[in-house]
Amino acid sequence: MTLLKPALAALVGTTMLTSVAFAANVPEGVTLAEDQTYTYRTLDEFDSLDPQLLEGVDASGLSRDLFEGLYNLGPDGATVPGVATHHDVSDDNLTYTFHLRDTAKWSDGKPVTAGDFVYAWRRAVDPATASPYAWYMELMSLEGAKAIIAGEAGTETLGVTALDDHTLEVKLSQPLPYFADMVAHATTFPAPKWAIEEHGDEWTRPGNLVGNGAYVLTEHVIKERAVRERNPMYWDDENTVLEKVVSLVIGDEASALTRYRAGELDRTDIPAGQYPALKEELPDEAFALPRLCNYYFSFNLASGPEAFQDVRVRKALALAVDRDVIVNQVLKGGQFPAYNFTPAATAGFETPAIDYAEMSQAARDEMAKELLAEAGYGPDGEELAFNYLYNTSEAHKQVAIVATQMWKQKLGVNVTLENQEWKVFLENRGNQNYDMARGAWCGDYNEASTFLDLLTTNSGYNDAKYSNERVDALLAEAKSSHDTGPLYTEVEQIIAADMPVIPIYHYSTNILLKDNVEGWPMENVMQKYYSKDLYKTAE
Amino acid sequence: MLKYTFRRTLAVVPTVILLIVACFFLMRLAPGGPFTSERPLPPAVMENVLERYGLDQPLYVQLWTYMQNIVLHFDFGPSFAQRDRTVNDLIAAGFPVTLTYGFWSAVFVLVMGIPLGLIAALRHNSFWDYVMTGFAIFSQIFPNFVLAPLMVLTFTLALGWLPGGGWNGGQWEYVIMPAVALGTSYLANVARITRSSLLEVMSAPYIRTARAKGLPERTILIRHALKPTLLPVIAYMSPVFVYMITGSVFIDVFFSTGGIGQKFIDAAYTRDYSVILGLAILYSALTFVLNLCVDLAYAAIDPKVRSGMK
Repeated sequence: MTLLKPALAALVGTTMLTSVAFAANVPEGVTLAEDQTYTYRTLDEFDSLDPQLLEGVDASGLSRDLFEGLYNLGPDGATVPGVATHHDVSDDNLTYTFHLRDTAKWSDGKPVTAGDFVYAWRRAVDPATASPYAWYMELMSLEGAKAIIAGEAGTETLGVTALDDHTLEVKLSQPLPYFADMVAHATTFPAPKWAIEEHGDEWTRPGNLVGNGAYVLTEHVIKERAVRERNPMYWDDENTVLEKVVSLVIGDEASALTRYRAGELDRTDIPAGQYPALKEELPDEAFALPRLCNYYFSFNLASGPEAFQDVRVRKALALAVDRDVIVNQVLKGGQFPAYNFTPAATAGFETPAIDYAEMSQAARDEMAKELLAEAGYGPDGEELAFNYLYNTSEAHKQVAIVATQMWKQKLGVNVTLENQEWKVFLENRGNQNYDMARGAWCGDYNEASTFLDLLTTNSGYNDAKYSNERVDALLAEAKSSHDTGPLYTEVEQIIAADMPVIPIYHYSTNILLKDNVEGWPMENVMQKYYSKDLYKTAE
Repeated sequence: MLKYTFRRTLAVVPTVILLIVACFFLMRLAPGGPFTSERPLPPAVMENVLERYGLDQPLYVQLWTYMQNIVLHFDFGPSFAQRDRTVNDLIAAGFPVTLTYGFWSAVFVLVMGIPLGLIAALRHNSFWDYVMTGFAIFSQIFPNFVLAPLMVLTFTLALGWLPGGGWNGGQWEYVIMPAVALGTSYLANVARITRSSLLEVMSAPYIRTARAKGLPERTILIRHALKPTLLPVIAYMSPVFVYMITGSVFIDVFFSTGGIGQKFIDAAYTRDYSVILGLAILYSALTFVLNLCVDLAYAAIDPKVRSGMK
């Protein structure tokens, strides 16, 4: 809910979004650097450059340079005008009408029309496109999306219509208060039908790719670099400052750090555990920014150890984990200890009062011992032993060792650590072939339901196989509610009482950014930035 | 010799087919697939994706289609991890990179290693011999994953002479560190092999005969000793060369060259079936071609081998 605060969302039938479009905002008196080239590191090659096919975070970043959706995200993560200047919502909250600016152009000079959005959105749900992100269109509650994806209806039945070249009408199957926030996502970007039809699968190559973003793709060497240069056709080109954006694929974060130090990169990621040292060495360049992701341990409630069926055992294990030690001694990157599922940084979400969050660790340990003893386990009862499954990674291993040592020392619980290669791990976790497993989730959009929906009975991501009717009902209600606060608070409290998962910490992003790069959206917890908003100052 | 080449080539076909079949099934044994992800796709979406890539077909149909596409269209299929690229694209982008730095690395190894070995052998037990032996030991205890960071610290961070990674179209300053880091430990081996081989050759009876005839030492070395000395070097370099031009995973990752060594590993992790297969076929084809070249080179140098080929 970045844009429509509850009160605003209640204003139906009116024109929304009056804020101005965002661009590089260079204050008076600032001298710009002569070389406006911004170079950054990506971990891996983009999975695709096609907005309707791509999935990855880096690919979606590139896509924001090459294309522009109905709305963009401003520096605080709230939506600002993109191709659309504003929209109207019908009284029943089921019809959205977006008004497109008539100055928007594709990089080949053709005007960007409502029809380009219709084409792209149909393309995203078309089974022939086979977009892995088709589910996003379903999540947007677009009328007809579900049936089209399932192959039961044609793409022309999708609830999106071009009323004229500059008016796009969208029909929803159910009211969705944060719908307008979702149209800043890459899957919803317009697509150039003529270029796709002319070049087929090769339409995303430099030279073939026609975009409507602030930049055009000029070079793309797979697994090495992608270069984009300013698009003179972009409607707001006069307010763009960066001339050239270069992303380099650097798999090894240590060599990326070296290259950052050598001045080859303007931005890179900080290797795990190195934030404190780098912050001291480069105080103006090292940042720890809150990020919309959580880290948790998931119980297997379907086929895990019998002991996990007892909520006292689950709670005892949750209480005995000293999150401060994990965050401050192990990870050391400005992460936040977590006692509830949804990160505090989530827009419109107020972290509810969770009783064990307020206790001291000593009191938690005491309570944990009592609960475990009550359940008949621990030093004076039955031995509690299980496997903890995580995917092979140094950071996960350290967290696992520390947590299991705490259980061992405080509760006498014996845990066997088991690590597996990523896809093997996913397969086993997804099939409940584990006792306890590591889990993490990053929000798809900045609203609490992106996290809490995971714990609904029918969620495909509910690896714990947790099921609580009340949670399901509350979250279903939240979908169309304008006052979600109390609903989410109750869900979080039920989860804290049932403890199907143990929240451990909420993420932070650790980056190094050269101090002459300005305009980075520090406040945006989704860390979605637009190159057109950045600029480099003279040293 | 032509007949020999033809016979060898023909024998490769069943080997490659066997390799494809074995790889094809082995890959499927690994749990998870190309579209297994942290956020499992809803069943309807998964169905569409699998159908698009033909992964919904029975395995034998998939294998047959794959083989047909290779034979009829030289098409190695789409990549699942880089959705708008085909395996052909990926190899066309990555192989020239590893071929370039691998080639220069091999040149570096041979141009430096052989003379070093020759000098060490000719100046047996002298200062130069010890320097060479010392260097060989040094490069063994400094494998490329130690040497490469040291080089970057020196030439990139301290001196600022060379870029710390990347490829940039293969300009020389981007090639030099990957080539040297990849080659150093082989260089030491080549020097050692050359040294011991020359020492052995020089004590052979026909060299003694040549000396007895009064030939100058220089003529003996160049006309009579050099060719047989190089035989073990060629034997050693053949598998090494394949390894060099198909890319070292470490060099690719550390220097971010974009080469195919890294892709092979990535493909295994992402279960990018068609990329794994495509690269396996490429590696086996290269291994075959280079082995054949080595055998032919052997024949050119050694008359005994030549007669055996007929």
